[in-house]
Amino acid sequence: MFAVSKDFAPPLKLIAPFFKLGVIFYLLSTIALLAFNSTFAYQEMAIAGWVHLFLLGFVMVIIFGAMAQLIPVVLEVGHAIVDLYYVILPLLGIGTVGMVIGFWVNPAILPYGGILVLTSMIIFASEAFATLRKTEINTITVKTVAVSNSYLLIGILTGFAIALGLSGDIAIDVDTMLKAHVYAVLGGFVLLTIMGLSLTLIPMFSLAHGFDETPINRGFNLVAIGVGVVFIGALIGVDFVQWLGYLTTLVGVGFYIYQIYIIYKLTVRKELDVWAKSMIFGFGSLILSIIVGIIYLVTPSTEHFLNTSIWFFMIGFIGFLINGHLYKIVPFLVWFERFSPLVGKEKVPMLHEMYPKGQANMMFWFSSIGTTLSGMGLLFESDYLFKSGASLLMIGAIFLYISMSKMLGYGK
Amino acid sequence: MCNITKEKVYEAISTVIDPEVGFNLVEMGLIYDAIIDDNCNVKVIMTLSTRGCPLHQMIKTWVQEAVEKIDGVGEVEIEIVWEPAWNISMAADNVKEALSGGTPSF
Repeated sequence: MFAVSKDFAPPLKLIAPFFKLGVIFYLLSTIALLAFNSTFAYQEMAIAGWVHLFLLGFVMVIIFGAMAQLIPVVLEVGHAIVDLYYVILPLLGIGTVGMVIGFWVNPAILPYGGILVLTSMIIFASEAFATLRKTEINTITVKTVAVSNSYLLIGILTGFAIALGLSGDIAIDVDTMLKAHVYAVLGGFVLLTIMGLSLTLIPMFSLAHGFDETPINRGFNLVAIGVGVVFIGALIGVDFVQWLGYLTTLVGVGFYIYQIYIIYKLTVRKELDVWAKSMIFGFGSLILSIIVGIIYLVTPSTEHFLNTSIWFFMIGFIGFLINGHLYKIVPFLVWFERFSPLVGKEKVPMLHEMYPKGQANMMFWFSSIGTTLSGMGLLFESDYLFKSGASLLMIGAIFLYISMSKMLGYGK
Repeated sequence: MCNITKEKVYEAISTVIDPEVGFNLVEMGLIYDAIIDDNCNVKVIMTLSTRGCPLHQMIKTWVQEAVEKIDGVGEVEIEIVWEPAWNISMAADNVKEALSGGTPSF
Protein backbone atom coordinates (compact mmCIF):
# COMPACT_ATOMS: atom_id res chain seq x y z
CA MET A 1 0.00 0.00 0.00
CA PHE A 2 1.32 3.37 -1.00
CA ALA A 3 1.65 5.88 1.80
CA VAL A 4 3.77 8.94 2.29
CA SER A 5 3.05 9.99 5.81
CA LYS A 6 4.15 13.17 7.45
CA ASP A 7 6.85 11.10 9.18
CA PHE A 8 8.56 10.54 5.82
CA ALA A 9 8.69 14.22 4.94
CA PRO A 10 11.89 15.98 6.06
CA PRO A 11 11.28 19.17 8.07
CA LEU A 12 11.30 22.54 6.33
CA LYS A 13 14.32 23.65 8.38
CA LEU A 14 16.34 20.87 6.73
CA ILE A 15 15.29 21.57 3.14
CA ALA A 16 14.87 25.36 3.08
CA PRO A 17 18.62 26.12 3.45
CA PHE A 18 19.32 24.10 0.27
CA PHE A 19 16.94 26.30 -1.71
CA LYS A 20 18.19 29.53 -0.08
CA LEU A 21 21.83 28.71 -0.74
CA GLY A 22 21.14 27.40 -4.24
CA VAL A 23 19.42 30.64 -5.21
CA ILE A 24 22.29 32.69 -3.72
CA PHE A 25 24.78 30.68 -5.82
CA TYR A 26 22.55 31.24 -8.86
CA LEU A 27 22.58 34.99 -8.23
CA LEU A 28 26.37 34.96 -7.78
CA SER A 29 26.83 33.00 -11.00
CA THR A 30 24.77 35.54 -12.96
CA ILE A 31 26.81 38.40 -11.46
CA ALA A 32 30.04 36.57 -12.36
CA LEU A 33 28.86 36.25 -15.98
CA LEU A 34 29.42 40.00 -16.39
CA ALA A 35 33.16 39.39 -16.18
CA PHE A 36 33.16 37.04 -19.17
CA ASN A 37 33.23 37.60 -22.92
CA SER A 38 31.40 35.82 -25.70
CA THR A 39 34.45 33.88 -26.85
CA PHE A 40 36.43 31.53 -24.61
CA ALA A 41 37.93 28.06 -24.35
CA TYR A 42 36.59 25.39 -22.01
CA GLN A 43 40.07 24.66 -20.72
CA GLU A 44 40.30 28.16 -19.19
CA MET A 45 40.37 28.01 -15.40
CA ALA A 46 38.02 31.01 -15.18
CA ILE A 47 35.41 29.16 -17.24
CA ALA A 48 35.82 26.01 -15.15
CA GLY A 49 35.31 28.18 -12.04
CA TRP A 50 32.05 29.62 -13.37
CA VAL A 51 30.76 26.22 -14.51
CA HIS A 52 31.38 24.79 -11.02
CA LEU A 53 29.77 27.80 -9.37
CA PHE A 54 26.65 27.24 -11.46
CA LEU A 55 26.55 23.44 -11.54
CA LEU A 56 27.67 22.68 -8.00
CA GLY A 57 26.44 25.78 -6.20
CA PHE A 58 23.09 26.15 -7.93
CA VAL A 59 22.13 22.94 -9.78
CA MET A 60 23.52 20.34 -7.35
CA VAL A 61 22.52 22.17 -4.18
CA ILE A 62 18.93 22.61 -5.41
CA ILE A 63 18.73 19.04 -6.77
CA PHE A 64 20.00 17.64 -3.46
CA GLY A 65 17.45 19.73 -1.52
CA ALA A 66 14.67 18.68 -3.87
CA MET A 67 15.74 15.03 -3.59
CA ALA A 68 15.59 15.25 0.20
CA GLN A 69 11.90 16.04 -0.24
CA LEU A 70 11.14 13.98 -3.33
CA ILE A 71 12.93 10.69 -2.64
CA PRO A 72 10.25 9.62 -0.11
CA VAL A 73 7.53 10.67 -2.58
CA VAL A 74 9.10 8.81 -5.48
CA LEU A 75 10.27 5.71 -3.60
CA GLU A 76 7.25 5.67 -1.26
CA VAL A 77 9.46 5.04 1.80
CA GLY A 78 11.19 7.26 4.34
CA HIS A 79 14.85 8.24 4.07
CA ALA A 80 17.38 5.77 5.47
CA ILE A 81 19.16 8.52 7.48
CA VAL A 82 17.54 11.86 6.69
CA ASP A 83 19.76 13.78 9.15
CA LEU A 84 22.72 13.25 6.81
CA TYR A 85 21.31 16.09 4.75
CA TYR A 86 22.34 18.44 7.57
CA VAL A 87 25.95 17.41 6.80
CA ILE A 88 25.66 17.33 3.02
CA LEU A 89 24.78 21.02 2.61
CA PRO A 90 27.70 22.64 4.47
CA LEU A 91 30.17 20.23 2.88
CA LEU A 92 28.84 20.92 -0.59
CA GLY A 93 28.53 24.68 -0.01
CA ILE A 94 32.01 25.17 1.44
CA GLY A 95 33.50 22.71 -1.06
CA THR A 96 31.97 24.65 -3.95
CA VAL A 97 33.41 27.94 -2.67
CA GLY A 98 36.79 26.22 -2.25
CA MET A 99 36.71 24.85 -5.78
CA VAL A 100 35.64 28.17 -7.33
CA ILE A 101 38.43 29.99 -5.46
CA GLY A 102 40.78 27.22 -6.59
CA PHE A 103 39.86 27.76 -10.23
CA TRP A 104 39.82 31.55 -10.05
CA VAL A 105 42.62 32.34 -7.61
CA ASN A 106 44.89 29.48 -6.58
CA PRO A 107 44.78 25.92 -8.04
CA ALA A 108 46.46 24.56 -4.90
CA ILE A 109 43.11 25.04 -3.10
CA LEU A 110 41.24 22.89 -5.64
CA PRO A 111 41.80 19.48 -4.00
CA TYR A 112 40.62 20.82 -0.62
CA GLY A 113 37.38 22.09 -2.12
CA GLY A 114 37.19 18.93 -4.21
CA ILE A 115 37.49 16.60 -1.25
CA LEU A 116 34.64 18.37 0.54
CA VAL A 117 32.44 18.14 -2.56
CA LEU A 118 33.44 14.51 -3.05
CA THR A 119 32.57 13.69 0.56
CA SER A 120 29.18 15.42 0.34
CA MET A 121 28.31 13.56 -2.85
CA ILE A 122 29.41 10.19 -1.51
CA ILE A 123 27.20 10.76 1.53
CA PHE A 124 24.31 11.85 -0.70
CA ALA A 125 24.65 8.86 -3.06
CA SER A 126 25.13 6.37 -0.21
CA GLU A 127 22.05 7.66 1.59
CA ALA A 128 20.05 7.48 -1.66
CA PHE A 129 21.20 3.88 -2.25
CA ALA A 130 20.36 2.93 1.34
CA THR A 131 16.88 4.40 0.87
CA LEU A 132 16.51 2.63 -2.47
CA ARG A 133 17.08 -0.70 -0.74
CA LYS A 134 13.97 -0.10 1.37
CA THR A 135 11.57 0.44 -1.52
CA GLU A 136 9.48 -2.31 -3.07
CA ILE A 137 8.39 -0.38 -6.14
CA ASN A 138 10.21 -0.33 -9.47
CA THR A 139 9.08 2.64 -11.55
CA ILE A 140 11.10 4.49 -14.13
CA THR A 141 11.83 7.20 -11.55
CA VAL A 142 13.20 4.64 -9.09
CA LYS A 143 15.46 3.27 -11.81
CA THR A 144 16.57 6.82 -12.57
CA VAL A 145 17.61 7.46 -8.98
CA ALA A 146 19.76 4.30 -8.98
CA VAL A 147 21.52 4.88 -12.30
CA SER A 148 21.97 8.64 -11.95
CA ASN A 149 23.56 8.26 -8.51
CA SER A 150 25.99 5.69 -9.89
CA TYR A 151 27.04 8.18 -12.56
CA LEU A 152 27.35 10.87 -9.89
CA LEU A 153 29.91 8.78 -8.02
CA ILE A 154 31.85 8.00 -11.21
CA GLY A 155 31.72 11.64 -12.30
CA ILE A 156 32.88 13.05 -9.00
CA LEU A 157 35.77 10.57 -8.75
CA THR A 158 37.05 11.61 -12.19
CA GLY A 159 36.54 15.24 -11.16
CA PHE A 160 38.63 14.72 -8.04
CA ALA A 161 41.35 13.13 -10.14
CA ILE A 162 41.29 16.25 -12.34
CA ALA A 163 41.57 18.49 -9.26
CA LEU A 164 44.63 16.53 -8.13
CA GLY A 165 46.05 16.75 -11.65
CA LEU A 166 45.55 20.51 -11.88
CA SER A 167 47.14 21.11 -8.50
CA GLY A 168 50.14 19.02 -9.59
CA ASP A 169 49.59 16.21 -7.07
CA ILE A 170 49.22 13.48 -9.69
CA ALA A 171 50.08 13.19 -13.39
CA ILE A 172 46.97 12.60 -15.54
CA ASP A 173 45.71 13.67 -18.95
CA VAL A 174 43.34 16.41 -17.80
CA ASP A 175 41.67 16.88 -21.22
CA THR A 176 40.72 13.20 -21.48
CA MET A 177 39.43 13.10 -17.93
CA LEU A 178 37.56 16.37 -18.38
CA LYS A 179 35.30 15.02 -21.12
CA ALA A 180 34.54 11.86 -19.11
CA HIS A 181 33.88 13.95 -15.99
CA VAL A 182 31.58 16.46 -17.71
CA TYR A 183 29.59 13.76 -19.44
CA ALA A 184 29.18 11.57 -16.35
CA VAL A 185 28.01 14.48 -14.17
CA LEU A 186 26.01 16.53 -16.67
CA GLY A 187 24.55 13.71 -18.76
CA GLY A 188 24.68 10.85 -16.28
CA PHE A 189 23.50 12.61 -13.14
CA VAL A 190 21.90 15.95 -13.96
CA LEU A 191 20.10 14.98 -17.18
CA LEU A 192 18.94 11.57 -15.97
CA THR A 193 17.78 13.03 -12.65
CA ILE A 194 15.83 15.76 -14.43
CA MET A 195 14.33 13.18 -16.82
CA GLY A 196 13.21 10.99 -13.94
CA LEU A 197 11.93 13.73 -11.68
CA SER A 198 10.14 15.60 -14.43
CA LEU A 199 8.18 12.46 -15.20
CA THR A 200 6.84 12.57 -11.64
CA LEU A 201 6.51 16.33 -11.23
CA ILE A 202 5.25 17.58 -14.60
CA PRO A 203 2.17 15.28 -14.75
CA MET A 204 1.54 16.03 -11.05
CA PHE A 205 1.45 19.79 -11.54
CA SER A 206 -0.28 19.74 -14.92
CA LEU A 207 -2.78 17.02 -13.90
CA ALA A 208 -1.96 14.89 -16.95
CA HIS A 209 -3.05 11.27 -16.66
CA GLY A 210 -3.18 7.99 -18.49
CA PHE A 211 -0.20 8.56 -20.75
CA ASP A 212 2.00 5.89 -22.31
CA GLU A 213 5.45 5.72 -20.67
CA THR A 214 7.17 3.75 -23.43
CA PRO A 215 9.05 6.79 -24.84
CA ILE A 216 10.57 7.76 -21.47
CA ASN A 217 11.61 4.17 -20.82
CA ARG A 218 13.39 4.04 -24.16
CA GLY A 219 14.80 7.53 -23.62
CA PHE A 220 16.10 6.68 -20.20
CA ASN A 221 17.80 3.46 -21.34
CA LEU A 222 19.39 5.14 -24.35
CA VAL A 223 20.71 8.12 -22.37
CA ALA A 224 22.06 5.85 -19.63
CA ILE A 225 23.85 3.69 -22.23
CA GLY A 226 24.96 6.68 -24.33
CA VAL A 227 26.56 8.43 -21.34
CA GLY A 228 28.44 5.25 -20.45
CA VAL A 229 29.68 4.83 -24.03
CA VAL A 230 30.93 8.45 -24.23
CA PHE A 231 32.59 8.06 -20.83
CA ILE A 232 34.46 4.94 -21.92
CA GLY A 233 35.22 6.46 -25.35
CA ALA A 234 36.71 9.54 -23.69
CA LEU A 235 38.85 7.48 -21.30
CA ILE A 236 40.24 5.20 -24.02
CA GLY A 237 40.49 8.11 -26.46
CA VAL A 238 38.54 6.54 -29.35
CA ASP A 239 36.52 9.13 -31.27
CA PHE A 240 34.25 6.60 -32.97
CA VAL A 241 33.06 5.24 -29.63
CA GLN A 242 32.40 8.75 -28.38
CA TRP A 243 30.36 9.55 -31.50
CA LEU A 244 28.33 6.40 -30.98
CA GLY A 245 27.64 7.57 -27.43
CA TYR A 246 26.64 11.07 -28.57
CA LEU A 247 24.23 9.62 -31.10
CA THR A 248 22.68 7.21 -28.60
CA THR A 249 22.26 10.00 -26.07
CA LEU A 250 20.71 12.27 -28.68
CA VAL A 251 18.13 9.67 -29.69
CA GLY A 252 17.38 9.11 -26.00
CA VAL A 253 16.79 12.81 -25.43
CA GLY A 254 14.55 12.78 -28.50
CA PHE A 255 12.39 10.11 -26.85
CA TYR A 256 12.31 12.20 -23.67
CA ILE A 257 11.11 15.27 -25.55
CA TYR A 258 8.46 13.14 -27.28
CA GLN A 259 7.31 11.90 -23.84
CA ILE A 260 6.99 15.48 -22.60
CA TYR A 261 4.96 16.29 -25.73
CA ILE A 262 2.60 13.37 -24.95
CA ILE A 263 2.18 14.66 -21.39
CA TYR A 264 1.62 18.19 -22.69
CA LYS A 265 -1.16 16.98 -25.00
CA LEU A 266 -2.93 15.39 -22.01
CA THR A 267 -2.45 18.35 -19.69
CA VAL A 268 -5.63 19.32 -17.91
CA ARG A 269 -4.44 22.57 -16.35
CA LYS A 270 -4.04 25.17 -19.04
CA GLU A 271 -3.12 28.07 -16.75
CA LEU A 272 0.08 29.78 -17.88
CA ASP A 273 1.59 30.43 -14.46
CA VAL A 274 5.32 30.96 -13.90
CA TRP A 275 5.84 27.20 -13.70
CA ALA A 276 4.12 26.50 -17.04
CA LYS A 277 5.94 29.36 -18.76
CA SER A 278 9.27 28.14 -17.38
CA MET A 279 8.58 24.61 -18.66
CA ILE A 280 7.76 25.92 -22.13
CA PHE A 281 10.92 28.05 -22.21
CA GLY A 282 13.00 25.21 -20.74
CA PHE A 283 11.96 22.59 -23.28
CA GLY A 284 12.16 25.13 -26.10
CA SER A 285 15.75 25.77 -25.01
CA LEU A 286 16.49 22.05 -24.94
CA ILE A 287 15.28 21.67 -28.54
CA LEU A 288 17.30 24.73 -29.59
CA SER A 289 20.36 23.37 -27.79
CA ILE A 290 20.07 20.06 -29.66
CA ILE A 291 19.68 21.77 -33.05
CA VAL A 292 22.68 24.04 -32.50
CA GLY A 293 24.63 21.09 -31.03
CA ILE A 294 24.02 19.02 -34.16
CA ILE A 295 25.20 21.94 -36.32
CA TYR A 296 28.40 22.02 -34.25
CA LEU A 297 28.96 18.27 -34.63
CA VAL A 298 28.69 18.40 -38.42
CA THR A 299 30.69 21.62 -38.82
CA PRO A 300 34.00 21.20 -36.98
CA SER A 301 35.97 24.16 -35.65
CA THR A 302 32.86 26.23 -34.99
CA GLU A 303 33.19 26.59 -31.25
CA HIS A 304 30.51 29.28 -31.04
CA PHE A 305 27.87 26.68 -31.95
CA LEU A 306 29.09 24.46 -29.12
CA ASN A 307 29.08 27.39 -26.68
CA THR A 308 25.54 28.37 -27.70
CA SER A 309 24.31 24.79 -27.45
CA ILE A 310 25.74 24.35 -23.95
CA TRP A 311 24.40 27.75 -22.90
CA PHE A 312 20.82 26.90 -23.83
CA PHE A 313 21.16 23.47 -22.24
CA MET A 314 22.53 24.76 -18.92
CA ILE A 315 20.79 28.10 -18.47
CA GLY A 316 17.73 27.67 -20.69
CA PHE A 317 16.84 24.05 -19.96
CA ILE A 318 18.32 23.12 -16.57
CA GLY A 319 18.02 26.64 -15.11
CA PHE A 320 14.38 27.17 -16.10
CA LEU A 321 13.28 23.67 -15.15
CA ILE A 322 14.76 24.15 -11.68
CA ASN A 323 13.62 27.74 -11.15
CA GLY A 324 10.11 27.05 -12.47
CA HIS A 325 9.68 24.14 -10.09
CA LEU A 326 10.85 26.21 -7.13
CA TYR A 327 7.58 28.17 -7.43
CA LYS A 328 5.65 24.92 -6.93
CA ILE A 329 7.86 23.04 -4.48
CA VAL A 330 8.71 25.81 -2.00
CA PRO A 331 5.10 26.99 -1.41
CA PHE A 332 4.13 23.34 -0.91
CA LEU A 333 6.88 22.78 1.67
CA VAL A 334 5.94 25.94 3.56
CA TRP A 335 2.23 25.07 3.40
CA PHE A 336 2.90 21.52 4.57
CA GLU A 337 4.93 22.75 7.55
CA ARG A 338 2.94 25.80 8.64
CA PHE A 339 -0.62 25.40 7.38
CA SER A 340 -1.47 21.71 7.05
CA PRO A 341 -1.98 21.32 10.81
CA LEU A 342 -4.57 24.13 10.63
CA VAL A 343 -6.77 22.49 7.98
CA GLY A 344 -10.34 22.18 9.26
CA LYS A 345 -9.61 24.57 12.12
CA GLU A 346 -9.14 27.85 10.27
CA LYS A 347 -8.88 29.20 6.76
CA VAL A 348 -5.63 28.22 5.13
CA PRO A 349 -4.11 29.70 1.97
CA MET A 350 -4.08 27.95 -1.39
CA LEU A 351 -0.62 27.12 -2.76
CA HIS A 352 -0.89 29.57 -5.64
CA GLU A 353 -1.46 32.40 -3.16
CA MET A 354 1.87 31.71 -1.51
CA TYR A 355 4.27 33.05 -4.12
CA PRO A 356 4.59 36.67 -5.28
CA LYS A 357 3.16 36.51 -8.79
CA GLY A 358 4.46 39.91 -9.91
CA GLN A 359 8.04 39.17 -8.91
CA ALA A 360 7.79 35.65 -10.30
CA ASN A 361 6.74 37.09 -13.65
CA MET A 362 9.57 39.61 -13.56
CA MET A 363 11.97 36.75 -12.82
CA PHE A 364 10.64 34.84 -15.81
CA TRP A 365 10.75 37.70 -18.30
CA PHE A 366 14.15 39.13 -17.30
CA SER A 367 15.66 35.63 -17.22
CA SER A 368 14.14 34.41 -20.48
CA ILE A 369 15.06 37.54 -22.44
CA GLY A 370 18.50 37.53 -20.79
CA THR A 371 19.10 33.87 -21.66
CA THR A 372 18.07 34.46 -25.26
CA LEU A 373 20.20 37.60 -25.67
CA SER A 374 23.29 36.01 -24.14
CA GLY A 375 22.74 32.90 -26.26
CA MET A 376 22.65 35.10 -29.35
CA GLY A 377 25.78 36.85 -28.07
CA LEU A 378 27.59 33.50 -27.94
CA LEU A 379 26.28 32.48 -31.35
CA PHE A 380 27.32 35.72 -33.08
CA GLU A 381 30.36 36.22 -30.83
CA SER A 382 29.07 39.61 -29.70
CA ASP A 383 30.27 40.75 -26.26
CA TYR A 384 27.64 43.49 -26.30
CA LEU A 385 24.75 41.04 -26.73
CA PHE A 386 26.26 38.56 -24.28
CA LYS A 387 26.76 41.12 -21.51
CA SER A 388 23.35 42.73 -22.12
CA GLY A 389 21.75 39.33 -21.67
CA ALA A 390 23.86 38.59 -18.59
CA SER A 391 22.69 41.88 -17.02
CA LEU A 392 19.05 40.91 -17.54
CA LEU A 393 19.73 37.43 -16.17
CA MET A 394 21.21 39.02 -13.06
CA ILE A 395 18.08 41.16 -12.56
CA GLY A 396 15.97 38.01 -13.04
CA ALA A 397 18.09 36.27 -10.39
CA ILE A 398 17.48 39.16 -7.96
CA PHE A 399 13.72 38.72 -8.47
CA LEU A 400 14.15 34.98 -7.88
CA TYR A 401 16.00 35.67 -4.63
CA ILE A 402 13.28 38.08 -3.46
CA SER A 403 10.56 35.59 -4.42
CA MET A 404 12.35 32.82 -2.55
CA SER A 405 12.67 34.95 0.59
CA LYS A 406 8.95 35.82 0.44
CA MET A 407 7.88 32.22 -0.16
CA LEU A 408 10.00 30.88 2.69
CA GLY A 409 8.80 33.66 4.98
CA TYR A 410 5.07 33.20 4.16
CA GLY A 411 3.01 32.79 7.31
CA LYS A 412 6.02 32.93 9.61
CA MET B 1 -31.72 1.81 11.05
CA CYS B 2 -29.20 4.51 10.18
CA ASN B 3 -30.37 7.89 8.91
CA ILE B 4 -27.02 8.99 7.48
CA THR B 5 -27.30 9.23 3.72
CA LYS B 6 -24.64 9.10 1.03
CA GLU B 7 -25.47 12.73 0.24
CA LYS B 8 -24.72 13.70 3.83
CA VAL B 9 -21.32 12.00 3.65
CA TYR B 10 -20.51 13.71 0.35
CA GLU B 11 -21.61 17.04 1.82
CA ALA B 12 -19.22 16.54 4.76
CA ILE B 13 -16.33 15.60 2.47
CA SER B 14 -16.99 18.63 0.28
CA THR B 15 -15.49 20.74 3.08
CA VAL B 16 -12.08 19.23 2.29
CA ILE B 17 -10.21 21.36 -0.24
CA ASP B 18 -7.24 20.29 -2.33
CA PRO B 19 -4.75 23.12 -1.63
CA GLU B 20 -3.02 22.73 -4.98
CA VAL B 21 -6.05 23.24 -7.22
CA GLY B 22 -8.43 24.97 -4.79
CA PHE B 23 -11.45 22.69 -5.34
CA ASN B 24 -13.11 20.34 -2.91
CA LEU B 25 -12.58 16.60 -3.26
CA VAL B 26 -16.18 15.89 -4.24
CA GLU B 27 -16.26 18.33 -7.15
CA MET B 28 -12.82 17.06 -8.20
CA GLY B 29 -14.49 13.64 -8.60
CA LEU B 30 -12.08 11.97 -6.21
CA ILE B 31 -14.77 10.34 -4.08
CA TYR B 32 -15.88 7.11 -5.75
CA ASP B 33 -18.37 5.81 -3.20
CA ALA B 34 -19.59 5.99 0.38
CA ILE B 35 -20.98 2.79 1.88
CA ILE B 36 -23.08 3.17 5.02
CA ASP B 37 -24.20 0.14 7.01
CA ASP B 38 -27.12 -0.21 9.42
CA ASN B 39 -24.92 0.81 12.37
CA CYS B 40 -23.92 4.06 10.64
CA ASN B 41 -20.39 2.85 10.02
CA VAL B 42 -19.11 4.62 6.92
CA LYS B 43 -16.60 3.40 4.39
CA VAL B 44 -15.40 6.00 1.89
CA ILE B 45 -13.80 4.76 -1.30
CA MET B 46 -11.75 7.46 -2.95
CA THR B 47 -8.72 8.16 -5.08
CA LEU B 48 -6.19 10.98 -5.49
CA SER B 49 -5.36 13.00 -8.56
CA THR B 50 -1.74 11.79 -8.47
CA ARG B 51 -0.37 8.52 -7.16
CA GLY B 52 2.76 10.24 -5.87
CA CYS B 53 0.76 12.91 -4.03
CA PRO B 54 2.81 13.94 -1.00
CA LEU B 55 -0.42 14.86 0.81
CA HIS B 56 -1.77 11.32 0.52
CA GLN B 57 -1.85 10.56 4.22
CA MET B 58 -3.05 14.01 5.24
CA ILE B 59 -5.94 14.08 2.76
CA LYS B 60 -7.05 10.68 4.06
CA THR B 61 -7.03 12.07 7.59
CA TRP B 62 -8.93 15.21 6.57
CA VAL B 63 -11.65 13.11 4.90
CA GLN B 64 -11.88 10.88 7.95
CA GLU B 65 -12.19 13.86 10.29
CA ALA B 66 -14.82 15.51 8.07
CA VAL B 67 -17.00 12.37 8.02
CA GLU B 68 -16.56 11.85 11.77
CA LYS B 69 -18.23 15.23 12.33
CA ILE B 70 -21.57 13.88 11.04
CA ASP B 71 -24.03 13.38 13.90
CA GLY B 72 -24.49 9.76 14.86
CA VAL B 73 -21.76 8.37 12.66
CA GLY B 74 -20.09 5.13 13.78
CA GLU B 75 -16.72 3.83 12.62
CA VAL B 76 -15.23 5.64 9.64
CA GLU B 77 -12.92 3.89 7.20
CA ILE B 78 -11.20 5.50 4.23
CA GLU B 79 -9.94 3.33 1.43
CA ILE B 80 -7.74 4.82 -1.30
CA VAL B 81 -7.91 2.98 -4.60
CA TRP B 82 -6.06 3.52 -7.89
CA GLU B 83 -8.50 1.71 -10.16
CA PRO B 84 -10.15 3.29 -11.94
CA ALA B 85 -7.46 5.95 -12.20
CA TRP B 86 -8.76 9.49 -11.81
CA ASN B 87 -9.09 11.66 -14.87
CA ILE B 88 -10.58 15.05 -15.54
CA SER B 89 -13.82 13.64 -16.98
CA MET B 90 -14.71 12.61 -13.41
CA ALA B 91 -14.63 16.21 -12.19
CA ALA B 92 -17.62 18.56 -12.03
CA ASP B 93 -18.18 20.92 -14.95
CA ASN B 94 -17.06 23.98 -12.99
CA VAL B 95 -13.71 22.28 -12.23
CA LYS B 96 -13.20 21.24 -15.85
CA GLU B 97 -14.01 24.73 -17.00
CA ALA B 98 -11.76 26.45 -14.46
CA LEU B 99 -8.77 24.17 -15.07
CA SER B 100 -8.94 24.06 -18.83
CA GLY B 101 -10.03 27.65 -19.27
CA GLY B 102 -7.37 29.22 -17.09
CA THR B 103 -6.78 32.66 -18.49
CA PRO B 104 -3.45 32.69 -20.30
CA SER B 105 -1.55 35.64 -18.88
CA PHE B 106 1.80 36.12 -20.51
